[in-house]
Amino acid sequence: MAAGATSLTKSETRRLCAITFFARLHPGDVCGSNGLPLTPNSIAILGRSQRLKELQHEHLCQYLDVVRGKHERTIVVSEYVGCTLEDYVKRHSQTPIKQTHILRIFHQVASGLAVLHAQRLVVHNLEPRHILVEGSKDAVQVKLFNYGMHHMTKGGAYVPFPIGNVRYMSPERLLGVNGNIKSDVWAWAMLLLEQLLQTELWPKLKLSNIAWKVLAFARNTKVSVVEKIAREHQRLELYQQLPLEVRELLERCLSVLPAQRPLPAELLQHPCFAQLSQAPAVRPDASAEPVPLLLRCPLTQIYHLWQLAGGDVQAELKKEGLIRSEAPILALPQIVRLSGASVCPPRSQSYLMDDRVVLLKLQPLLQRLSRLPASVYFPLLHMPRQQQQQQQQQQQQQEQQQQLPLLIRERDIEYQFRRVRLFTRLLHGYPHTAEQLQREAAIDIPPLLRGPIWAALLGVLPNASYAKIDKFTATSTDRQIEVDIPRCHQYDELLSSPDGHRKLKRLLKAWVTAHPQYVYWQGLDSLTAPFLYLNFNNEEMAFLSLFRFIPKYLQWFFLKDNSAIIKEYLCKFSQLSAFHEPLLAQHLASINFIPELFAIPWFLTMFSHVFPLHKILHLWDKLMLGDSSYPLFIGVAILKQLKSTLLNSGFNECILLFSDLPDIVMESCVIESQKMYECTPKSITHRQHALRVQTPHVLDIGAGEVELQHLQSELCPRISAKDVHQLLLHAPEQLALIDLRSVVEFGHVHVPHSINIPFATVQLGEQRLEALQVPQLEVQLRQRIVVCVSNIHQHAVEFSQFLVACGVLRTCILHKGFNVLHSIEPNILISN
Amino acid sequence: MATTPRSGGSSSGAAQRPNGTSQNKSCQFKLVLLGESAVGKSSLVLRFVKGQFHEYQESTIGAAFLTQTICIEDTVVKFEIWDTAGQERYHSLAPMYYRGAQAAIVVYDIQNQDSFQRAKTWVKELHKQASPNIVIALAGNKADLSNIRVVEFDEAKQYAEENGLLFMETSAKTGMNVNDIFLAIAKKLPKNDNNPGTVIKPNGNESTQTTNNCCK
Repeated sequence: MAAGATSLTKSETRRLCAITFFARLHPGDVCGSNGLPLTPNSIAILGRSQRLKELQHEHLCQYLDVVRGKHERTIVVSEYVGCTLEDYVKRHSQTPIKQTHILRIFHQVASGLAVLHAQRLVVHNLEPRHILVEGSKDAVQVKLFNYGMHHMTKGGAYVPFPIGNVRYMSPERLLGVNGNIKSDVWAWAMLLLEQLLQTELWPKLKLSNIAWKVLAFARNTKVSVVEKIAREHQRLELYQQLPLEVRELLERCLSVLPAQRPLPAELLQHPCFAQLSQAPAVRPDASAEPVPLLLRCPLTQIYHLWQLAGGDVQAELKKEGLIRSEAPILALPQIVRLSGASVCPPRSQSYLMDDRVVLLKLQPLLQRLSRLPASVYFPLLHMPRQQQQQQQQQQQQQEQQQQLPLLIRERDIEYQFRRVRLFTRLLHGYPHTAEQLQREAAIDIPPLLRGPIWAALLGVLPNASYAKIDKFTATSTDRQIEVDIPRCHQYDELLSSPDGHRKLKRLLKAWVTAHPQYVYWQGLDSLTAPFLYLNFNNEEMAFLSLFRFIPKYLQWFFLKDNSAIIKEYLCKFSQLSAFHEPLLAQHLASINFIPELFAIPWFLTMFSHVFPLHKILHLWDKLMLGDSSYPLFIGVAILKQLKSTLLNSGFNECILLFSDLPDIVMESCVIESQKMYECTPKSITHRQHALRVQTPHVLDIGAGEVELQHLQSELCPRISAKDVHQLLLHAPEQLALIDLRSVVEFGHVHVPHSINIPFATVQLGEQRLEALQVPQLEVQLRQRIVVCVSNIHQHAVEFSQFLVACGVLRTCILHKGFNVLHSIEPNILISN
Repeated sequence: MATTPRSGGSSSGAAQRPNGTSQNKSCQFKLVLLGESAVGKSSLVLRFVKGQFHEYQESTIGAAFLTQTICIEDTVVKFEIWDTAGQERYHSLAPMYYRGAQAAIVVYDIQNQDSFQRAKTWVKELHKQASPNIVIALAGNKADLSNIRVVEFDEAKQYAEENGLLFMETSAKTGMNVNDIFLAIAKKLPKNDNNPGTVIKPNGNESTQTTNNCCK
C-alpha cells in the first residue's frame, strides 16, 4: 500500500489501476467427468468477472478488464480514485476526523453496498484498503474498490487464498457461511466502529486469536458485541458518548444473528444519516481545476485508448516488481511419481500473493489527445452549414486515413478515438441516426463498439422480450446443445469459461423456444458465438442480434427439412461462381467438386464455423451492410483467393484444401466480395427462399418462377428484364446483349446495340469464341454483363454454357426470354 | 474432364504412382465414419491421419474429408475418409457419403448408451442401403474413460459378432487401437477384386455415379 500512499499528489491523472493474484492451479493432469480437461480457474474468473464491468455507480470503482497472464496469473484493471480510507485516516491523525464526516463517508459506503446488494452481489472483503476517499472536508467522494473479488472467484473457490480480512469478518463467515449481504453489514459496522472509537481493532493480535475473540463474543449474547469491543480497547467511555442513534445502529449491525442486522438499503434510511443527506451534493469536479476533456469520456473508452497508446498492464506490473520472470528450468520438478504428483523446488517469492495496487499513468495519453479540438471529443451530428464546411477540411484529412489498411486504422489511436466518439454519439441517437450509422459503418467499425453497432445495423431495438423467453425447461435438443458448446470456439477465453458456456446455452435454448417452426442445427452454436462474444454482458442484445440476423441471411435454413433451401442456395453459389469465375467454376464442375461437399458449413454458419473469431468479426462487419446475397460473394471471393491452387488440383486435393481451410487473407476477401457484390445486378442473385422485403416488380423475377430443377440445370444465373432495362438506361457501356434469335426476327425488332448470333447457325462443339466467327466478339463482351436472350429458353441456356466454357465473364440469361422486353414501357426496342 | 485417371476400387495402380514403389500393389478405398454426435469420429480420424488429438475438436458440419496411406504386407492402401456430421438432422446427407463406400466405421461412445443404440441403427441402415460388400467396423470410442463406461465390452462384442462387424474399443485420446482398427479394415478389404463401380465420389445424384464422373 506504500505505493498508493506516496502517489496521492497527482491523483486526478491516475484513474486506472491494476491488481494481480494467482488463481488456484488444478492438480496435474486431471480431467472432468466428460473426459475434457478442467477449465483453468483463471478462465472461470475471467468469465465471471465480465458482469462486474457493467456496474457503474458513483460509489463503486468501475471494473475495466481482467487479463490472464502466465501460470494462472489474473490481473484486474479497475478505476481508482483518491486514497484508501487507511491513508486518509493517517493523514488526519493530528486532528481526529469529525463524527459527521465519518458518517458521511460510511453513508456512501453503505450506498455502494446497497447497489451491490440490488445486483445480488456480496463484497466480503470490506476493509479500509478497499474504501477509496477523494476530496476532503465536506466534499468527499467515496468509492468501494476491489469489491468483486468474492464474486469473480466464486466465493474464493477459484483462488488459493481466503477472501476478506478476519478483523472485520462476521461470526457466520468465520464459521464458513458465505454469500449473505448481512455479513458485509457487519464488516461495515466494524469499520465504522473502528473510526468512531479512533482506534485500530486488535492491532497486535494474531489472526487466529482475533477469530477466536469474535466467536467468543458471539457466544455470549447477554452483553452486546459493541460494548465488549469498546471495553476491550478501553474506549467504553468514548463509545457511550456517541449519539444514541449511532449506538443503536451499531448494536443492530453487530447483532450475532444475521437476520437481526439491517440491510444496506435500511442503513441508508437510518435517522443518524438524516442530517447528512441535506448536505450539498458532493461533486468532485467542483474543484477549481478544469477536468481534461478526455476524463469526461467513459472509462471504458479511456482504458481502450490507453491500451491503443501502447499501455500494457503486464509491463506496468513488471515495472513495479509484481510480475517477475524466472528461468523456467528452476520450476522443473525434481521427482515425478507414477501417480502424476511431483516434487518441485519451493515456489519462489514471485508466486506469492502481493496485494499492492499499481496505478496506471494516464498523463501521456492525455497529452497525446490534448491537441484535438473539443468537437472531436463531442462531435456534432447535425450542424449549420458554415460549421459543416470547416468540418469538411478535417474530413478530407480523415479520408486519407481511411485509405490505409484496416489493421493500421484499428491501431491508430487518434483515428480510433474519433471513430469511437462519433459512434458513441450515433448510438445515443439510434434509431434516429440509423442511416448515418450505416454510412459510417461502411467505412469501418471501431472494435470497441462493435457489439452495439452490429445490433444497430441489424435494426435491433431492445424490448425486454428476451427475459420472457423460457430458457430453462428441458427439451430434446438439450443434449445436442450440450455436446456442441464445449467445442465451439474454445480457443477464446470468454467462450470457454463456464459463464460463457452457460450464456451460450441460454441463448441457443431461447432461440429454439422463440422459433417453434425451426429446429437446432449443429452450426447454430457457431453462428451465435460472435454475438455472445461481443455482447457478453448483454445477453438480450446478443439474442436480438441473432434473432434479426438469421431471417436476413439465413431465412428458412433452420427448418427441420431445409434441403430445398440449401440446394437452392448452393445452386446459386455455383451460378455466381460461373458468373464471376467461369474458368474456375468450369474446372470445379469437371472434377465434380460440388458445393454440397464443402460449402454447407460456410453458408449454414455464415463462415463462423470455418474461421476464427477475429476473422469473422471483420468479415461480418461488411456482411452486416449487405443484403441476403452478400455471403454468396464471400464464398466466391474465397474460391477466387485459392484460384491458382484449385485450378491445379484434382478432386482429392481440392476437398483436402477445404477440409482444412488455409489462411484466407480476410481483408482482400472482403474487398473482393464487395466489388463483386456491387457490380452484380440484384436479380442475378435471386433466390426463391430469400427473405423478401418488398413485393417484386412486374419485370422482376417473381417468387416461385424459377424452380429448383431449372436452377440446377442452368450453369448461368438469370437476369430480370428490370435489371436489363436499368442497365440500358443508366450504364449501357456495361451491358452486352447477345440476341440468339434468327436474323429475320432480329431484323424485325431488337434491342439497340445488341449482337445477333442466331442460335441455329452456330456450332458449339469447339469451346472457343472465335469459332462463332463474330468479328471482335471478345472485345465486345469484355468488362460487360453478357446477357443471352432468346425466345427459346434452352437456346439461351446452352449458349450461356458455351460462353462460360470459353471463359467469358459475367454471363447470364434473360429471364422469360426476348418477349418480356416488349412489355417494358416506354418501348426500348427498335427495328431495322 | 479427368486430368489423372484414377483407378477404381482396388487395382494394381503401381505403375502410375510417381513415387511409387513399383513392386507394390496399391489400392484406394473409400471409408466413411458414422455415429452419434460427439462420440469422437473426427478425433479418431485426426489421430489416424495426423497423430494429433484436440480436446476441443470442433463439431463437424456437413462432412470433412481426409486421406491416409498405410502399408500392409506388399500393398499400399490409401484411405479416402469421409468424416460425417453426427447430428441426426444431417442424416439426409449421409447416403451421399456412404453410398459406394467400401468400408465404414460406426462409432459410439462407451459412456453413452444412446450412442450405442444409434450405432446399431447405423449398422442396420448400412446393411440395407450401402454396397453389399461393405466392411463395417464398430468402434467403442473413449476407451480411456473405461472406468465410467456404460456400454459393456462384451455386450458390444457380442453384437458385433452377430452382425459380422469388426469390433474394437478405441481411444482417440491415447491412440489406443486407432491404427489397429484401420489396419484391420484394410486387411479385410478385398485387394484383388477389380470393381470400378464401387469407388465413387460422394454425390447426391446417384445416376451420375455410374458414369465416369466418379473418377477424376
